[in-house]
Amino acid sequence: MIDPALFDQARDRIAVSGFTPEIQTKTTLFLCTAKNGNLMFHSSVQWMQNLNVVQQFILSQYSRELEAVTLLSRTAQWSTDPALAIEGTRIVAPLMMAWGQIMLPPGPLLNPQAAYRGISLGHAQLARIRMAPVIPDNADPLDPFVVALQRIEQENGRMLQTQIRLLKNIGTEIPLEEREALVEQDQQLVDGVFSEFLTWLATP
Amino acid sequence: MLAHDQNVHNSPIEYPVKSFFIEFAHLSGSTMPTVQFGHHQVHYELTGEPGRPVITFLNGLTQNANLWKSYADYFVPRGYRVLAYDMLGQGRSSKPVIDIKLAMHADMLDDLLEQLDIEKTHLASISFGGIIALDFAIRHGHRLHSLTAMSTFAELTPQLDLLGAVMLQGLAEVGLPYLQSMLYPMNMSSAWIAANRERIPAMKRAGYIGNDGYAMQNLMESFVEFQPLTPDLHKIKVPTLIMNGEFDFFTPRECHEVIRSKVRNSRLLIIQRAYHAFTLEMPAVTMRQLEVFLDQVTAGTWQGDQSVWIAADDPTAETQWLPCAGDWMRAVQPATVSPAANAPNRRKTPTRKKTP
Repeated sequence: MIDPALFDQARDRIAVSGFTPEIQTKTTLFLCTAKNGNLMFHSSVQWMQNLNVVQQFILSQYSRELEAVTLLSRTAQWSTDPALAIEGTRIVAPLMMAWGQIMLPPGPLLNPQAAYRGISLGHAQLARIRMAPVIPDNADPLDPFVVALQRIEQENGRMLQTQIRLLKNIGTEIPLEEREALVEQDQQLVDGVFSEFLTWLATP
Repeated sequence: MLAHDQNVHNSPIEYPVKSFFIEFAHLSGSTMPTVQFGHHQVHYELTGEPGRPVITFLNGLTQNANLWKSYADYFVPRGYRVLAYDMLGQGRSSKPVIDIKLAMHADMLDDLLEQLDIEKTHLASISFGGIIALDFAIRHGHRLHSLTAMSTFAELTPQLDLLGAVMLQGLAEVGLPYLQSMLYPMNMSSAWIAANRERIPAMKRAGYIGNDGYAMQNLMESFVEFQPLTPDLHKIKVPTLIMNGEFDFFTPRECHEVIRSKVRNSRLLIIQRAYHAFTLEMPAVTMRQLEVFLDQVTAGTWQGDQSVWIAADDPTAETQWLPCAGDWMRAVQPATVSPAANAPNRRKTPTRKKTP
């Protein structure tokens, strides 16, 4: 689980400094990496056979994740400090590695277990990465970056329904207990990465 | 280390669902007691000296074990041990995504007590926890000294069924903040909201961080297969106190009347001017009523006669339970206008008992 104090520390720091280019860069690097992983997965499985109505949801999530990445990238005031990119890459490395494993040949399109893992990891990201609690009360609600974060958070909650329905109902030979354990493992992975990100965000 | 095991799909995983292993997990920088339930972790708080009678508290849907801390502070100095825990899907316990059968919660409580060497307990519960408590009392009644069911129900009335569907729809289509916003006015009085309006955003933020929408959704969806407990309520033999807020429109009187009418060893206690979440809004009154009940059970003076009572407003008052006159199912008591209109009461009014 994520220590609530980490949210508080990040929020308190932003309350003092505002959404500086450094904070916006850190946030955008982190969120875009997570979303690019899910995006890559969805681009791979959206033409899977026999998806039927699910295909619409996967295509929709692909588009909305793409939109989120675009929205953040266009509204962010970027810092020119290259050290942020290096440190950001280190923090998100476990996520990139996990998505990379899912995308290993033959890829989720032809590997049902990798497909299930992709849904599970996508669920963990959409459910556990929450930026709304770090937005301080004194933030300008009309600031484009703040608006982007709020909208992305709302969309995450809605998009999550696709993963929930798939995790519950998808036809798979993986036993229920093993699926639950897999989902919990992905949550721990995301919690660990996000906790480290929040700590980084709170650090000047 | 949180690195992903690529071979997880092929790993043989054992799930000793019926066995717990106590451990002290180091999470979030603090040591907290947990037990293992299958591959899930269950967080609990147990305070008070071993050997004393135990009161176990069961949370409502969006609650967590911490909310019973003031109850522990009240009952531990009075000679009890207090056990509170986060059910699966709540607080710091594991939050399954895929499946939780409703019956699993009662079975989990049974194993939790087993693992903690608690042979019998008083069980106090509210709302969602009340259903679990009723189920527990039906199937594991031998573990109970007594049962307190607050703001709860044994079956989904048509009204509750639709309310639940709306809550689930709001959670799924709008999100957790919507459900939080909806629950404040559903649970609390205008007076409480007015007094706490400034604090509500911070409380919602804390709730948003501590809760997971998908886990709550999973708990709510477990009602899809929910079978009414009403046909089995007669199996509850332990002293049972049913507590209902006077103005609880979330789980109104009819929900509690079903329980009162089927559990012979019960009494219904109406908390004056209270709404659904009176354990939070009126803790002093709630604790006092619970104490009165537990004292009677302990002293062997409890009379489970299915009568209806009204709790005193003042927890320091000498007489805590006042007999309820008239029809407790009605919100208004029409005056008799003429002898001809003085028809017999539809329901038998409670027999006046010696007040506790």
